[in-house]
Amino acid sequence: MARVSTDQLLQLETTCGSLLYELQIIWDEVGETDTERDKMLLELEQECLEVYRRKVDQANRCRAHLRQAIADSEAELATICSSMGEPPVHTRQVGHCPCWRLKEELNSITPQLEEMRKRKGERLIQFSEVKQQIRNISVEIMATEYHPSRHVVDESDLSIRKLEELCRYLESLQKEKSDRLKQIMDHLSTLNALCSVLGVDFKEIIREIHPSLDDAEASKSVCSATIERLATAIGRLRDIKIERMQKLQDFASTMLELWNLMDTPIEEQQFFQNVACNIAASEEEITEANTLSVNFLSCVSHPTSGLLCLLLVGHMFGWILPIEELCYMQVEAEVLRLEQLKVIKMKELILRKKEELEELGRRAHLVVEAENGAEVAISAIESGAIDACLVLEQIGCQIATVKEEAFSRKDILERVEKWLMACEEEAWMEEYNRDENRYNAGRGAHLTLKRAEKARALVNKIPGIVDTLVAKITQWEKERAIGFTYDGVRLLSMLEKYAIVRQEKEQERKRQRDQKKLQGQLIAEQEALYGSKPSPSKPPSAKKVGSNRRLSLGGAAALQTPKSDYMHSAKSTRSVKMTDDLGTLSPGAKGLDITGLPVKKLSYNNAMTTYQGVQRKPFAPVAPVNSIPLTPSKSLIANALEENKIPNAMLSPTPKTPATAAAVLMHVATTPAPTCLFNEALVKVVSPVDETEYSFEERRLAFYVGGR
Amino acid sequence: MSRPSLPFRFSSVPPPDPQTASSRLAPVDMSTATMLSGGRELSQPPSDGISNLRFSSHSDLLLVSSWDRTIRLYDVGENTLKAEFVHAGPVLDCCFHDDSSGFSAGADHSVRRHIFGSGKEDILGHHDAPVRCVEYSYAAGQVITGSWDKTLKCWDPRGANSSDRALIGTYVQPERVYSLSLVGYRLVVATAGRHVNVYDLRNMSQPEQRRESSLKYQTRCVRCYPNGTGRVAMEFFDLSEAAQAKKYAFKCHRKSEAGRDTVYPVNAMAFHPIYGTFATGGCDGYVNYSKYPTSIAALSFNRDGRLLAVASSYTFEEGEIPHEPDAIFVRNVNEVEVKPKPKALPGPPP
Repeated sequence: MARVSTDQLLQLETTCGSLLYELQIIWDEVGETDTERDKMLLELEQECLEVYRRKVDQANRCRAHLRQAIADSEAELATICSSMGEPPVHTRQVGHCPCWRLKEELNSITPQLEEMRKRKGERLIQFSEVKQQIRNISVEIMATEYHPSRHVVDESDLSIRKLEELCRYLESLQKEKSDRLKQIMDHLSTLNALCSVLGVDFKEIIREIHPSLDDAEASKSVCSATIERLATAIGRLRDIKIERMQKLQDFASTMLELWNLMDTPIEEQQFFQNVACNIAASEEEITEANTLSVNFLSCVSHPTSGLLCLLLVGHMFGWILPIEELCYMQVEAEVLRLEQLKVIKMKELILRKKEELEELGRRAHLVVEAENGAEVAISAIESGAIDACLVLEQIGCQIATVKEEAFSRKDILERVEKWLMACEEEAWMEEYNRDENRYNAGRGAHLTLKRAEKARALVNKIPGIVDTLVAKITQWEKERAIGFTYDGVRLLSMLEKYAIVRQEKEQERKRQRDQKKLQGQLIAEQEALYGSKPSPSKPPSAKKVGSNRRLSLGGAAALQTPKSDYMHSAKSTRSVKMTDDLGTLSPGAKGLDITGLPVKKLSYNNAMTTYQGVQRKPFAPVAPVNSIPLTPSKSLIANALEENKIPNAMLSPTPKTPATAAAVLMHVATTPAPTCLFNEALVKVVSPVDETEYSFEERRLAFYVGGR
Repeated sequence: MSRPSLPFRFSSVPPPDPQTASSRLAPVDMSTATMLSGGRELSQPPSDGISNLRFSSHSDLLLVSSWDRTIRLYDVGENTLKAEFVHAGPVLDCCFHDDSSGFSAGADHSVRRHIFGSGKEDILGHHDAPVRCVEYSYAAGQVITGSWDKTLKCWDPRGANSSDRALIGTYVQPERVYSLSLVGYRLVVATAGRHVNVYDLRNMSQPEQRRESSLKYQTRCVRCYPNGTGRVAMEFFDLSEAAQAKKYAFKCHRKSEAGRDTVYPVNAMAFHPIYGTFATGGCDGYVNYSKYPTSIAALSFNRDGRLLAVASSYTFEEGEIPHEPDAIFVRNVNEVEVKPKPKALPGPPP
């Protein structure tokens, strides 16, 4: 190339020489003066110089440009390197050999710069990506704390370190986000469980907190506010749950108490088993769906289970109300009704318990202080002065005390029973011993003998029984420092009295024995003097035996005598029977027999004498209803009969008619029995509204008469 | 003093039940025809409700009293009406004296005697209210009548037509007399108010026993067990609950329909003269599982128990309603039907 340019220069010099030569020729021809010629040449020389100077300036400028470019590149390179945290490329030191020209230098630095620029761009993209993610997550986490400035990539520091830092930050953010998600899921499941227990709509609640929570597809909101709200909701539901649970448990325990009080059968209890089983559960243990829902609690109030469930409902409503806003009026009425029911039930309970108490007392022969009985308590409950539960409790306490006391008395009481039984036998023995025909062979005599044998053995044991009893009682009294009473009487005094009576009897018996002996001696003496005589103690005639035995056996046998007399001797003396009859007539028979009797007797007593039943009637007491004078009644009846136009056959002129008619009147007055046929009274009587019983035939006759 | 106890069989009248009225009035089913093949229906039946019917104890004559104011005598063998007497009012009961005469109890308060051959009738006497039942005691030779005037009267039939001579005695009862039954000298009286009195005819001054039905419903009918040994069985209308049904588990005349029990009154019962078994008839129209057109008002076995007269006649249990015509069926009794089964002895244990 140099050669080429040399050639060109040579050509140029040739061209210049030729041009100068041409010029000299022209000048010669023109005849320019030498001065002119010199001036022209100077001009030419000056112009050339100018051109040269311009070129040099240009070159110089170009060199400066180059240098500038190199410096710029180097500076940029250095900047990039530094921003990317890489060691600077020392082009000048490394590759700055003196032999290098500026252009070479520039050429060598340019690719480096390009390279670095490319890397920087890549780095920038990385940074912005990370930053973008960070921004997104930050937005999610702190919805309101978004500062856009913080998320513009700072180009001055694009070092790996910074990137890593950012990545770490991103990671931490991601972790936080996942943590929060986890927390939210936890919260959601807790909430779900609570909702299901309480029977609340879970979806609705979470939708209220944040709509995204309900959406299975969309990402869930993880911002702090949501979490906070979730936590609040959980707290609120848990509070409700605990509150309800406590109510339920209060309830269940009340129910158990009531069951216990009212001896509710197991089948009825079974219905509430799911309630009752929660009585001891802690809050965490109640997880079954709807256990505490309003519906469930209403379910608890099953109508068939009577008071218990009604009470349950009452309690429920009391606290469900604020939640459910049920119709308050209805509930109030219901609660009122329940309260009344409860009062009634309580009254019954108290009465029952009272009875139990009295029964216990009776069995233990204890006099339970009456304290005016259940009536006072009940009236007090009704007036609201005393709490029914309190009364029940008191009675319960009393029962417990009485039971305890009864238990302590049991041993002694058993002995007392034995003693009393023995005393009874003793009394019987006395009766028996008084019966002088006791050894007569008769019906059942062997049984009586056997009984006597047993009784004798028992009676012999009495002193022993009494002694032990006294010892026991004394010990008992000493232990308790109170007197042992038997049906309100001090037992010891009873025993003492008994002992005194026994002693007296003993003395009496001895006296009798002595007397008998004396009598025997007298008889013997008399026999010796006058020969034998019937003994005064000889058994009386057979006829009297029965009556004697009756006496010994007491009133029960005496009551049977009329009947047995009839059975054995239908034809026995009538007068005796009559008196007996009077004694044994049932009140009903007395009342009925008297109707119209004096009349009958007056009118045709002769005809009746053969009939004993009628004959005895005059002895029956005369009731006031029967004191109607004979004549007026007669005329009255006659009038009535005439008015009713009864067929003549019915008015048959027997003396009996007035009497029976009088009886009829009596019936009309006392009982609405049908009186006479085809009479209005009959219709009135048989079809009436009163509760008198009528047979089909009576009704039919009434209809028959009415139809005619 | 031990006396054989009287086993009671209680039953009573149910209150009229309008809900079941239609079912009772259902038309006669086919079983009627098949049942009737073993018997016949008497011609010339009474024109109104039959109050009672009785076979003679000497022949196959049948005496029937009716609400149509008649008392009729049929010869069952010839299926003829042999005699008819008309009263002033409905006749509530009748019984034979012997084959030539009988007695009737009238709603006109009268007690009458009828001589079948001559058509003659005497009045034994009167009660103060309609006479519900009449019985003749062969042992005592007396006619016993029970009336709604709450008395029992004994009559001597030889003193007929002059009541002062016929009346032997009047015995006041606690309530209106609804049913009587006799065996030997023993007389059982059932009255309203569920009273039951047992008398000995030889000593009528007071009841031998006074009892009360343990059931809550009215006593409709009482019958003595005819072995004459002093043992008496009593039949009441059985409307009893399951427990009682177990205790007195014979014909209950009940029907289970749509989950509810309809229990019909038992109006009548008759003892078989030889086997001692008995037939009962109720408002359901059944006699021991055979269906009749309407309620069974009365039953009677003839003297050898080969014939059973059944009065199929509405008994007014539901008041005045349309009902089947009154009819008398005489049924040939199959021996198998009436022989006691070893498990279900009708009589009380000795």
